[in-house]
Amino acid sequence: MAEKEEEVCFKKETVSKLLCSSFKEDKTRLGSDATLLMREMLKVFVQEAALRSLKQAESEDCNRIEIEHFEKILPQLLLDF
Amino acid sequence: PETAGWEETSPLNQKRLKAAVHYTVGRLCQKIGEEHRREFSRQTIAAIAETTFRECDIFAQDLEAFARHAKRSTVSAEDVKLLARRSSALSNHIQNKSEELAQEQRDSRKKSTVKRKSRDTEEETSDFLPNMHRKIGA
Repeated sequence: MAEKEEEVCFKKETVSKLLCSSFKEDKTRLGSDATLLMREMLKVFVQEAALRSLKQAESEDCNRIEIEHFEKILPQLLLDF
Repeated sequence: PETAGWEETSPLNQKRLKAAVHYTVGRLCQKIGEEHRREFSRQTIAAIAETTFRECDIFAQDLEAFARHAKRSTVSAEDVKLLARRSSALSNHIQNKSEELAQEQRDSRKKSTVKRKSRDTEEETSDFLPNMHRKIGA
């Protein structure tokens, strides 16, 4: 790929809203360094989900990644995170 | 700046968040699909997005518990590193990223040229967790 890599990632604001909405206590806050790291963590999570599903599809000689492929790799994915 | 006190429980905002997640997940899957010359079905992308959304709930609860355990009310990078403990590949990756972010902060303060580590190469997607996803389909 010769073109300039444009990095796809979650917006900082999305990450912090996502996490903060699940905090149980009002006083819990999310530091900005933690937000940036969690942005990376989520990106890796999605990439692993996608890549493992893709590898699963490849191992089954499928050209398209279907939900069955994702379902097969999901248990181990959740164990790894 | 820290984040708190946002109108989280409103269903509309939840919907917006889900849509935002779905959008980014879709783009990431598209990129990975292009790199491997395969396509993700829409159903699969939606499933990955839904799973990611739900995982965030679990992550947030864990992060909150870690911070509370350390007698802090603000979730820190250390809490995130703890979250990544289950896999050494993931743990290393997050540790490296944390150091990289800290370095970028220091560099921007010194106003010198920020030295970017070559993480945005073509093989980016297989570099992150080399041991993890290569186990599949062996």
